[in-house]
Amino acid sequence: MKTLVVFPNMELLYAASTLGGEVAALVFSQKEAEAVSGKAHKILVAEVDPRLPDAAAEAVAKAAAGYDLVLMPSTKNAKTVGGLAAQKLGVELLVDVLSMRAEGGVLTAERYVFGNKAVAAVQVPLPAVATVAPGRFQGEPPAVQSAVEKLALAPTSRLKIAAVEEKSRGAVRLEEAEIIVSVGRGFKKKEDLQMAFELAKVLGGQVGCSRPIAADLKWLPEEHWVGLSGKKVKPKLYLAVGISGQPQHIAGILDSRIIAAINNDPSAPIFQNADYGVVEDLYKIVPILINKISKLKGG
Amino acid sequence: MKIAVLIKTALDTGQLRVRDAVVVEETPLKISDIDRNAVEEAVKLKGQDKAYGVTVLKWGPLQKKVQEAENVLREALAMGLDEAYLVADEKLLNASHLATAKAIAAVVKKVGADLVLAGEATVDNYTGQIPARVAAELGWPVITYARELKVEGGRVVARRDLEDHVEVVEAPLPAVVSVTREINQPRIPTLLAIRAAMKKPINRLTLADLGIGVETKISAAYKPLVIQRKKVVIKDGTPEEKAEKLIQHLRQEGVI
Ligand SMILES: Cc1cc2nc3c(=O)[nH]c(=O)nc-3n(C[C@H](O)[C@H](O)[C@H](O)COP(=O)(O)OP(=O)(O)OC[C@H]3O[C@@H](n4cnc5c(N)ncnc54)[C@H](O)[C@@H]3O)c2cc1C
Repeated sequence: MKTLVVFPNMELLYAASTLGGEVAALVFSQKEAEAVSGKAHKILVAEVDPRLPDAAAEAVAKAAAGYDLVLMPSTKNAKTVGGLAAQKLGVELLVDVLSMRAEGGVLTAERYVFGNKAVAAVQVPLPAVATVAPGRFQGEPPAVQSAVEKLALAPTSRLKIAAVEEKSRGAVRLEEAEIIVSVGRGFKKKEDLQMAFELAKVLGGQVGCSRPIAADLKWLPEEHWVGLSGKKVKPKLYLAVGISGQPQHIAGILDSRIIAAINNDPSAPIFQNADYGVVEDLYKIVPILINKISKLKGG
Repeated sequence: MKIAVLIKTALDTGQLRVRDAVVVEETPLKISDIDRNAVEEAVKLKGQDKAYGVTVLKWGPLQKKVQEAENVLREALAMGLDEAYLVADEKLLNASHLATAKAIAAVVKKVGADLVLAGEATVDNYTGQIPARVAAELGWPVITYARELKVEGGRVVARRDLEDHVEVVEAPLPAVVSVTREINQPRIPTLLAIRAAMKKPINRLTLADLGIGVETKISAAYKPLVIQRKKVVIKDGTPEEKAEKLIQHLRQEGVI
């Protein structure tokens, strides 16, 4: 087995090491090469701007010669690079894989499909490309001797990046939050979200939201948005308030340790996806929770 | 500007039955939600030229699903596309994205286009790889995850919405662009438009018509995603009592 890791991080290098055999890393700067030194048998350095998917894919397609599997993270840019490279190489690409196994020239990988209602076990012939879902492979890549090599290529891109705008990143880092109080359309007015912020504050947590709150109503910036097309979170407590629990929302919270929900509709699907559910009007129970919990913490 | 819009006739996952097994064959098809945004953008941008939909049927059984797929395509035609191409072939009824992209690119080459538009991902599989693959197959530049799009002087300029930042990216035409749901508000077709769509052509094609062959060795088996949650529901008592119970549970779990 020979695996090439592109945009390497410790998780990906560990994932590659679980397949056995040789692990190489493709990086796009000297600095990144240093960061993975001692974690891959071979480090290939391509002097390419990795933000340009066509140029990065050219480097990947060239570097992939002789490798059985190319592994990447499941970021939007990496998926784009993966799609381009896979087509160039004439191979399949599996994205967001949860687990994988290579045997007899076949890669078997699992991923969520159908709005997270099902798990697919997909089998593709090697060589192949795969992007790995975050948080699934936790471990240390073994220490090895790294040989560093420059990848000679003169990449051409037809894309031009005219500007880059950082997204406003307030104090919100939902991916790292231990407690999340998440709000949905059960809230009637923007001002009412204040309750959720207060509850989050007494719990020492952060505020998340469903898609409509960020995308349609624009009551909160997108950094709060949780779900399939938003943030994937893994807090120890996810408290969904006034959220119905559609599969696209659940897709973002699967890795939460405990899910609790408040909803006044006993048939809301969120109750099927929660550890503890309370059937109640949020306007009645949230103030009580704030009160009780702040007393608990205070005393 | 001549535009090809990639439309997936996706599984309506809301209607997918997953009790004991995953029943794919009986699940109805629907237009993949984000593709509506791509159709809307195409209708806005096409000007005097034609915009056509391109679909590769992915879910069988072929005979039954072809009819359903045509009904789905009528919706896109009612939104304002001029014509549709439906590639239906037994050899494409599988999970191979390599083969799908080849078939799509062959249609685009056959019909000609200045711009290919697609949704950022499809609602059933959500892999988002087809736009990049089609671009590679055509040898065109690709811009993915566009939340704003302008065409000026033979170039596309898009705001590319990535995890932590937004890039303003330019590419020369012809190009492939995938769009997000934030790019626009898809129109609801009028009754008149729905009626007019009944007369618009849907051209059915096979791999032989496209003069390409595909050989795939991919397989996929589906099983229900069992969510192991405790599902304790507190529904009796006053709000005060319910709050108390919830707090007790959460303290027992050690999460607060
Ligand atoms: C391709 C695609 C991607 C998507 N991605 C995402 C995503 O990333 N994240 C996401 O969240 N959604 C996503 N969605 C949308 C998703 O399908 C749902 O529409 C959305 O999650 C619903 O949000 P909600 O629960 O806030 O609103 P609703 O479904 O309207 O639910 C509101 C809930 O509040 C309850 N309620 C009302 N009043 C009260 C009250 N007084 N007290 C208590 N409860 C009350 C109601 O009973 C109801 O259950 C996506 C959809 C598609 C098609």
